[in-house]
Amino acid sequence: MSWTAYILPALCAAVLLFASVRKVKVYDSFAGGAAKALPLLKNLFPYVAAVLVLAELFEASGLSAALSSALSPLFSLLGIPEEIAPLVLVKPFSGSGSLSLLTEIFAKYGANSYIARCASVVYASGETVFYLSAVYFAGIEGKRPALPVAIGLISNFIAILLGCLFCRII
Amino acid sequence: MNVLFLVVFIVCTALICVRDPSAFLPALLSGAERAVSLCITLAAVYAVWLGILQVAEDAGALRGLARGMKPLTKKLFRTENESALEKIVVNLSANLLGMGGAATPAGISAMRLLGAEENARYSRAMLFAVNCAGLQLFPTTVVSLRAAAGAASAYDVVLPILLSSLCALIMGVSLVMLLCGRGVRMGRAGMHKEGSDNGGSVRADKKGGRTERCDMRAGGRKGVRR
Repeated sequence: MSWTAYILPALCAAVLLFASVRKVKVYDSFAGGAAKALPLLKNLFPYVAAVLVLAELFEASGLSAALSSALSPLFSLLGIPEEIAPLVLVKPFSGSGSLSLLTEIFAKYGANSYIARCASVVYASGETVFYLSAVYFAGIEGKRPALPVAIGLISNFIAILLGCLFCRII
Repeated sequence: MNVLFLVVFIVCTALICVRDPSAFLPALLSGAERAVSLCITLAAVYAVWLGILQVAEDAGALRGLARGMKPLTKKLFRTENESALEKIVVNLSANLLGMGGAATPAGISAMRLLGAEENARYSRAMLFAVNCAGLQLFPTTVVSLRAAAGAASAYDVVLPILLSSLCALIMGVSLVMLLCGRGVRMGRAGMHKEGSDNGGSVRADKKGGRTERCDMRAGGRKGVRR
């Protein structure tokens, strides 16, 4: 176990101790905060459901597989190994999906390979943009997140390009 | 989003009908099922983190932290809303420490709180872009996965990941400034000595009524201060 595992428990204990020093009713305060969880989810759920239904449909229709095989020549042109094209495409939609793809790549090509290192960078150097947009912009009235989503996708893609480059140099 | 949803849905439905129409409903249902299980997980995560956050907030710890970072965050997000800035600070530090579970609830509250602001569109886009970069001081998941898969040096990806995340962050922030930031001058309005804010509102005219209005409001407030 590395030292990073201690950050979280220490932080939470510190917050509670600090609060009790400040004479906060810790138990009531915690319960008050936790009470906000369900109303928040009530607002989130419809949008999360819509996005995930769409993502599943996208997967089942074979469109994502077709797209990744169509795009792999382009990717290899840009210096992204074509083996990780599915990961690049799944990453914006699903964190758990890309995690399972990452472990698959580790098992298939070995964790020491260039491909595995690129895949690590792709996995870790961006967020699941569509998932985040579903959650963050859920229930915000009349604000279309198209522009922020496009910005997120573009900057993450450039980061992937540079990341594969860094993997070759470093 | 509405157009995107419609187009992707129709195209996928057409494709699935060509291949295997009976797979259509199971796909929809399994998507919804994933949404339900995700929300149950999220409910647990939020209950824990919103609880801890509430304690930190009541203790005044968040306010202190937010005040310390205010010069930076105020400029970046161009908002004066204290409670939104508090949530943003929590969101950013949780992201840096790799605690996505703590970052998301704070981020969502910040998005809501920013709604009351004049620059809501800009501030929200900026917060979203910063979150999308996913900058992390130490990528725990990947490193432990690599170690488990038997990598010779599990840590050799840390530097490339950090660098490329930084690139994503810089790209995202500058794109938001470029594409959404025109005419949004509130964060800086107070610093201008005089005269220059007129130029700002003239430029904002082209962007349409919304931004123009908020520029005028910012100018008006400055006038009072003067």
